[in-house]
Amino acid sequence: MRKKSVSYAKYGYIFSIPFVVTFLVFSLYPIIYTLVIGFTNLRGLGVKEFHFLRTSEGNLDLFGNFRTVLNNKTFTTSLKNTIILWTANFIPQISMALLLTAWFTNRNFKVKGQGAYKILIYMPNIITAATIAILFNSLFGYPKGPVNDLLMKLHIIDGPRNFSLQRWTARGIVSFIQFWMWYGNTMIVLIAGVLGINPSLFEAAEIDGATPTQIFFRVTLPLLRTILLYVLVTSMIGGLQMFDIPKLFLNGGPDQATVTSSMFIHDQAFSGSYLYNRASAASIIVFGIIIVLSIILFQVLKDKDEVARRKYRRAQNRAARKGVNA
Amino acid sequence: MSTHGSIRSKRMLYKTIVYLVCTFLAILSIFPFWIMFMNATRSTYEIQQSSIGLVPSKYFMSNWKILTGKAFSPMTGFINSMTVSVGVTVLAVYFSSLTAYALMAYSWKLRQAFFSFIMAIMMIPAQLSSIGFYQFIYRIGMTNKFTPLIVPAIASPAMVFFMRQYLMAALPLEIVDSARIDGSREFATFNRIILPIMKPALATQAIFSFVGSWNNLFIPLILLTNKKKYTMPIMVSLLRGDIYKTEYGSVYLGLSLTVLPLFVIYFMLAKYIIAGVALGALKE
Amino acid sequence: MAKRVRTITLVLLVAVLGVSLFAGGQTEATTAKKKVINVWSFTDEVPKMIDRYKELHPEFDYEIKTTIIATTDGAYQPALDQALIGGGADAPDIYAAEAAFVLKYTQGDAKQYAATYKELGIDVDRLVKEADIAQYTIDIGSNERGLVALGYQATGGAFIYRRSIAKAVWGTDDPQVIKTKIGPGLDKFFQAAEALKKKGYAIVSGDGDLWHAVENSSDKGWVVDGKLYLDPKREAFIDHSKRLMDNGYHNDTQDWTDAWFADMKGANPKQAFGFFGPAWLINYVMAGNSGGSKIGEGTYGDWAVCEPPIGFFWGGTWVLANRDSKVKDAVAELIQWITLDSSETGLQYYWANGTLFGAGGTKDSVASGTVMGKSDGSLDFLGGQDMFEAFVPAGAFATGKNLTQYDETINSTWRAQVREYTAGNKTRAQAIADFKRMVFETLDIPSN
Repeated sequence: MRKKSVSYAKYGYIFSIPFVVTFLVFSLYPIIYTLVIGFTNLRGLGVKEFHFLRTSEGNLDLFGNFRTVLNNKTFTTSLKNTIILWTANFIPQISMALLLTAWFTNRNFKVKGQGAYKILIYMPNIITAATIAILFNSLFGYPKGPVNDLLMKLHIIDGPRNFSLQRWTARGIVSFIQFWMWYGNTMIVLIAGVLGINPSLFEAAEIDGATPTQIFFRVTLPLLRTILLYVLVTSMIGGLQMFDIPKLFLNGGPDQATVTSSMFIHDQAFSGSYLYNRASAASIIVFGIIIVLSIILFQVLKDKDEVARRKYRRAQNRAARKGVNA
Repeated sequence: MSTHGSIRSKRMLYKTIVYLVCTFLAILSIFPFWIMFMNATRSTYEIQQSSIGLVPSKYFMSNWKILTGKAFSPMTGFINSMTVSVGVTVLAVYFSSLTAYALMAYSWKLRQAFFSFIMAIMMIPAQLSSIGFYQFIYRIGMTNKFTPLIVPAIASPAMVFFMRQYLMAALPLEIVDSARIDGSREFATFNRIILPIMKPALATQAIFSFVGSWNNLFIPLILLTNKKKYTMPIMVSLLRGDIYKTEYGSVYLGLSLTVLPLFVIYFMLAKYIIAGVALGALKE
Repeated sequence: MAKRVRTITLVLLVAVLGVSLFAGGQTEATTAKKKVINVWSFTDEVPKMIDRYKELHPEFDYEIKTTIIATTDGAYQPALDQALIGGGADAPDIYAAEAAFVLKYTQGDAKQYAATYKELGIDVDRLVKEADIAQYTIDIGSNERGLVALGYQATGGAFIYRRSIAKAVWGTDDPQVIKTKIGPGLDKFFQAAEALKKKGYAIVSGDGDLWHAVENSSDKGWVVDGKLYLDPKREAFIDHSKRLMDNGYHNDTQDWTDAWFADMKGANPKQAFGFFGPAWLINYVMAGNSGGSKIGEGTYGDWAVCEPPIGFFWGGTWVLANRDSKVKDAVAELIQWITLDSSETGLQYYWANGTLFGAGGTKDSVASGTVMGKSDGSLDFLGGQDMFEAFVPAGAFATGKNLTQYDETINSTWRAQVREYTAGNKTRAQAIADFKRMVFETLDIPSN
């Protein structure tokens, strides 16, 4: 290494240019627009003029919309629902995905036909939400529908039930649909993560006599940590923005039991009164919640590798500098 | 001897459970597709009387006629959808990897800030920024062009995040260093060494991005108003649009046609996720 | 080497893609020579009419560019709004609106974009009289500047009932008699429900059937002077619904679900006597779901229409023109042909007789009473009855003065709360209080 030390830092900047430019061109304006109108009086269709909120005395009242939204019971209900629906679908989703990942990456026992299984299990994710919603609506049809017919035939119930009027049944169905549409997706992400792990690590563990279960918990899971962080963060973001299924399945019903925060935002803006400013304020609040939760996740599943990498680079830089000095 | 037997029976039990659960889940997955394909052969009124039919009926041809008689032209839709989805997928996958690599492999001053920034934009609720987006696209006169649907994919924060996480787990920096010693230039290193290592990640994200883009309805619906530019989901949505006389049979046929190309793409890409190879570069 | 090839392919792919993207837009500008009319609609109905007009009038030398966006995914309005606000060469010249949201474009937030028919140069006053257009259509299509929208279809509602059940209960299936059994007024209607129940029938399929009638028979709309107004007639619906439920007068179905369609075929154990609906419900929904296509098959031919206990209308399409249109004359020509031409070469004559695309098409009731007067509306599905007997007067009973641009949202909120009450999940007062709260929180429309 007698060569002159080269600083590669500039490539970090160069390789980031496409992303940054695209973002600036296509997304910056919409995002800033959204952020700004949350503090204004913009509502109504085709309105082009708006100004920051002021109190009746004329003082700036930037957070008026935020107060209104936070005092809105539909909004607080929607937050509560979102959290319930997300928890109820995420826990089974991640558990099932991890279990399947363990099975499909077990080096001692290759599941026959696992290619087919992996494909089939992912399939619910490629069908559109609208189709799924229609399907489940018919399945739980009332007064006649397959589920009602079946339960009556089995004498579990003696007359048809209107499931779409039962709050917890409706929530259960929405959570189940979310779980079912996404566990295959999560599984594929996890399997891809396992495939990225250096096989020699598994071989070493096997030579040490570890059982598949031990390998999964002691080798696979710790090395999957970065991917797990990704799964947790993205599914939390996706979960807090849950929209399609609750909207299409029962339109937030019964009695707002499946209204999510994204539906609230959508309805503020598009259900007749065009309350863009409030929709924006609600978005900003949801954004804040997501950020706080993400920071917590990042803290808990701390980027240990990132720290290690930084150390590695620093050590190298030092070595390089030494090389120059010498 | 007996412990041997119990281990073997445990193994048997394990295998049985694995196959039972997997088969059950597989059936659960096939179910909606089965209903969809069956309904594509049933008449609207058969479907209205009972939306869930397990056996085919005889209306496939008449559904096909209704389908093609309306605004649905499978070829145009297929080509348009393909253009958008392939474009989105290629751009998203390639540039997200590049951005993730920039975040991963180099130490530069703004790196942590840039990563935090990407994470932050990923967290912005999509619901409302859409309003600003439509306005912007209308203002710059880009409606009825595929550009505003495809090019923004270059900045896909969630995918960058995934690629970064993947690289952190799968890429030892020593590889980069040894490539440099071999005289490889940075951009070439990325294209020739890093991308192949990332194959499982690329395939995974390519599938997700393709499926997402293929099924994307709302933004194209608003930005593409010219018949020649319609994507397949827009065409299906038009079939459902006739409020007084929705032709459900042909809607399901349209949905079935829309989903078929996804199968093909998925089968093509899935082998990289299933095979579990692609780690040749890692043998230090 | 192989890897390099792959890289090059990739780069090429990206490049080709980029080029094709930017080049894609250019090819179209060259064809703009011909005069263009942009038509926006949520179904292919209006565009097909215009195509037909061009076929019938070869001298009409305009290129029609149609944009059809379904309402089902909620994208038609946002897209249309953007296009109207954006203006320019792609802005709609003619656009269609459905009953559920037409008010927004005629009297609500988007009314400023609509041209009055007078501005287009149509002799509205004379033609409206000549064609005998139902008042509710005009009311909906007018704002303080004048008439901006009319339809081609009449969607005034009638009561559509099973002849066999009428005979079993009252000994006759004559519409003139049956209309006095089920109405006028809802008291008579509930008496009839009791009579039907004694013989083991339901009077309607679900409470949604009654809702359409009740909604439109109210004196005022949901919003009066910026405040939520719960019209006594609409409020009474909560009690009607409860009464239907508690007495088993209906099958407790919800409209547009399997069980509701099954009642058209008589497939539920308790048969439903009738449906509230306009002509399109018969043609496009009931006929196909009757389980037959000839008299004697399923319930086909076992139906008749009579005057409903309360007047109403349901659905319909209105046609509007853009104030900024550059081709006003041509737009006027088309709109007049579609909405106001009561001659035998006007659209509505073809539409009423099902002859727009040749003989044997679906007959429908049309906006012009004059046209229906000289058309034959007899249907096999109704056992040969001329449906215009019931639908011509039906238009006069309907009112167009109780609609608002918020109806879609408020209606579904109200019906959901009614359902909560009838299902026994909450008290009547609680349901109404929750309804008011939800409307306020979603639409910022206060109650008092």
